[in-house]
Amino acid sequence: MLDSLASLAFGFTVALQPQNLFYCFLGVTMGTLVGILPGLGPTVTIALLLPVTFQLNPVAAIIMLSGICYGAMYGGSTTSILLNIPGEAASVVTCLDGYQMARQGRGGPALGISAFGSFIAGTISLFGLVFLAPTLAEFGLRFGPPEYFALMVMGLTVVAYLARRSMAKALVMTVFGIILGCIGLDPMTATPRFTFGSLELADGISLPAMVMGLFGIAEVLENLGVRTKVQVFSGKIKELLPNREDWRRSAGPIGRGSLLGFFLGIVPGVGAIVPQFVSYALEKKLSAYPERFGTGEIEGVAGPEACNNAAMGGTFIPLLSLGIPSSATTAVLLGALMIYGLTPGPLLIKNSPDLFWGVIASMYIGNVLLLILNLPLIPLWISFLKIPYTYLASFIILFCLIGAYSLNNNTVDIFVAILFSLFGLLLKRFDFEPAPLVLAFVLGPMLETNLRRSLILSDGGFRIFLERPISAAFILLALAALAAPLLSKVRPGYGLSEED
Amino acid sequence: MDSAKKTNLRLDTVSAAFWFALAGAVCYGASLLGLGSAGEPGSGFILFWSGLILAVLSLVVLAESIRAAGETRHESGSISWPKVFLVLAALVLYGLLLERLGFILTSFLLLSFLLGISDEAKWPTVLTVATGAALGSFVLFDLWLQIRLPKGILEF
Repeated sequence: MLDSLASLAFGFTVALQPQNLFYCFLGVTMGTLVGILPGLGPTVTIALLLPVTFQLNPVAAIIMLSGICYGAMYGGSTTSILLNIPGEAASVVTCLDGYQMARQGRGGPALGISAFGSFIAGTISLFGLVFLAPTLAEFGLRFGPPEYFALMVMGLTVVAYLARRSMAKALVMTVFGIILGCIGLDPMTATPRFTFGSLELADGISLPAMVMGLFGIAEVLENLGVRTKVQVFSGKIKELLPNREDWRRSAGPIGRGSLLGFFLGIVPGVGAIVPQFVSYALEKKLSAYPERFGTGEIEGVAGPEACNNAAMGGTFIPLLSLGIPSSATTAVLLGALMIYGLTPGPLLIKNSPDLFWGVIASMYIGNVLLLILNLPLIPLWISFLKIPYTYLASFIILFCLIGAYSLNNNTVDIFVAILFSLFGLLLKRFDFEPAPLVLAFVLGPMLETNLRRSLILSDGGFRIFLERPISAAFILLALAALAAPLLSKVRPGYGLSEED
Repeated sequence: MDSAKKTNLRLDTVSAAFWFALAGAVCYGASLLGLGSAGEPGSGFILFWSGLILAVLSLVVLAESIRAAGETRHESGSISWPKVFLVLAALVLYGLLLERLGFILTSFLLLSFLLGISDEAKWPTVLTVATGAALGSFVLFDLWLQIRLPKGILEF
């Protein structure tokens, strides 16, 4: 424990270096902005900014990109409360009571409790991260190829289980993601696979170009011809600080939301979206007046807002300690780590302590910055929503094209982004979710390598996955996730709207 | 069955057929790469099995759709396909012309087109915004962030 605190202190010396502090500030500010703006989520923003970070030191780059992840959580809640529009999928639930509070003239306390709750949750999840990530990484050192393979299978099946639409369709996306991830040179024999003689495809499909097409341009294409006029909140926001009664009612939900979000976020595949719904349901169940939920109850804002922030912190644990992403956003972050030449996994703490502890400490600093900057700047953030969507959409397309081109200074990546934008649009039309595809695309090559190594180790016996207790546990969990829909029709994420 | 449910079933049938055909193509391609054996998996091993699983899943999607034909489900908003294809064509053209004409000119043309087809702004505004945005993004990305963008015919 003392070791972890000493390492955290070292992390603060890294995060407080002027350059890192600047990039942390930049990251959380951009995160807040993309959390507010429609059509541009943290996943696309990270993919878009990736080429810009090539010249940076990887620590500064990851600090900035992580800031975008959790900054977006703050930004998303602002539009949920004031406009009834979730800027981020992880803030959908906040609309229910947050917007009602704003309509009753209590938008200030709703924003305040959301910011303070997020800050408290961020702090709790930081401490969880500090103590759990090194332990998990140490545990991860015991993992061999079968355990890694089983863990990835579990993560991918959990993602499919938590899908907002049909689980079978989410599994189709997962398998297709694995297939796309195999395009390029075979990692073990260097045989070209499905490259059709193209040199560009030998390196595989570019993840950032794919993400910009699937999430960025496709979203714009979907909204072409739709005239969206945002009703910008014109009322004055008074009394941002919650009163004593607000605090009394919110303390429990914030504490429960923080713990719930953090522990759910750790589970590979869960991400930050589903935990907020669990938190809302829990608060409603525990409330003495559940019928009032949805009419402007502060517990309905405090719990889920704390929960989504804590969950975002939690998702960094499998990412940093095992190299396993939990969502499309952390999958792109994992891609970024690999592009910087770092090997995410249990050895990251040992080999790159400045990155590991620097990023963790920067998350705390980022949370403080968000708390200080966000509340006074709310009118400024809201004014960005006055930009007509047509202009915003055109700029999103242009930035995605610049981002794709600058990956390799090559127009091929532009065509990859265009192709995936059409594909992303068709996925929406045919009711498929793209997030499992991205996650499987990133995990695919690792999954394959670990499967093949496991089979070579066991001389072709698939029992190796069941003979080793850790991998057997993961496989059983994966099977449970696959079998669960047969036993119950209700899945946690089923029916949620697609805002990601 | 009402028309919305019929449409859902039709869409799922089309997508299931697509995934099934793709699965077949993946399995065939994987078999050409060499499957190896369980003890020594070849380059096509995981692709072959992924293809097989994809084929099974496409049938599950179809079966699920037939079973759920009576249920309502999430409806995606209507997509303006003519505009989508117009914009996609413009993007492809952007990719083809970027290195020849250069970033500033191509971006100006693209933005003018994108803002112009929206009918929400008048042409003088469109041209002013497109010029400002093309020049501004060049300054931001090329001059400030040092991302080398093609200068094309404007190179001097």
